[in-house]
Amino acid sequence: MNASSDIAKRIVDELASCGVKLVASLPDNWLMNVIATVDRDPRFVHVAVNREESAIGLCSGAYLGAMGSAALMGASGFMTVIYAITKINYSYEIPLFLMLTLRGALGDHHKHHASNGLYLRPVLDAIDLPYQVIDEPGDIGQISRGYRHSRTFCRPFAVLFTRDLLRGADAHGGRA
Amino acid sequence: MKYLDAFKVLAKHRRDEIVVTSAGNSGQAWWAATRDSEATFYLDASMSLATMWASGLALARPELRIWAFMGDGAFCMNPGMLMVERAMNLPNLTHILVSNRVYGATSNAALPRSDNDYAAIARAMGLERVFAFAELDALDRGFPGVTAGNISGHTFVVLEVEPFSAAEQKLEQPPFDGPELKYRFGRHIEARTNCDIFGYRV
Repeated sequence: MNASSDIAKRIVDELASCGVKLVASLPDNWLMNVIATVDRDPRFVHVAVNREESAIGLCSGAYLGAMGSAALMGASGFMTVIYAITKINYSYEIPLFLMLTLRGALGDHHKHHASNGLYLRPVLDAIDLPYQVIDEPGDIGQISRGYRHSRTFCRPFAVLFTRDLLRGADAHGGRA
Repeated sequence: MKYLDAFKVLAKHRRDEIVVTSAGNSGQAWWAATRDSEATFYLDASMSLATMWASGLALARPELRIWAFMGDGAFCMNPGMLMVERAMNLPNLTHILVSNRVYGATSNAALPRSDNDYAAIARAMGLERVFAFAELDALDRGFPGVTAGNISGHTFVVLEVEPFSAAEQKLEQPPFDGPELKYRFGRHIEARTNCDIFGYRV
């Protein structure tokens, strides 16, 4: 098992420990190991959705059926779901647990994520959606804390995974 | 057929189904037809997401049968939802597309196209249990057979209805704010299924 797969396994085990059963996802290259690990893990029902808003709908409905859930998506996908979150999760006070990528931050190789680097966190702040950056393997336990926080306060909560965590640092610096 | 008449027929044939309404006029129409304040979630704040929401609920509670309304204006915003519904293929979920050919909640504003063949779209997405009703008598006769018995997979029903009249647009909205609706509905689900949604039971 390489380092990235090991991290994915630890993230998925942490999710399972929260009682999460449904994982709705859209891909982001950084998340592919996590998504693949969820997909082959019988503790989960993995639903690959057509767009990120569908993941918000699925997870929110599952809550009213007492099923734990998580929505897994990239930063760009998150930027498309402001309507769904503010309408469904805020209007009805339905908790939602989001796992996102911290695109556009230090270590991202892709220029087209410049907008996410500039606006992802300001957008989260603008809609008062609390989040926790997960940058180190030792931070993975924050997933459970964030999940419980969303349930306690009946609001969304997001964890933002860095590239260094999910893919390891590149040759230009950072951790190996 | 008249929108409200169609919903009265559905209400007549309802047994113990849980209902989820959509952005559009379906919340008003279902409230007018049933005054249901517990076993219906009026998901008005949800453009294009009512059936995804209902799919999450149906997945979580396979012992319940769910009817989810979707206006065709909302449907046009996210037709790819049918790919997800096909993949999930939940036998306890019936997606009822209410086709009035307009954006009913916004003064009957025109859709980009008014001649969409929603049943054909659903079949092209791979759905197999696809039904359409344009006449009230046919709905009254045919709808029970569509949703009764052991169903093999996801069901998609198109209702062709007339848009709300000006008077119908003034029908009462379901008189619940969001959290009240959540708790009314959630407590009903808890009582029906002995599950624990909120972490404590009253």
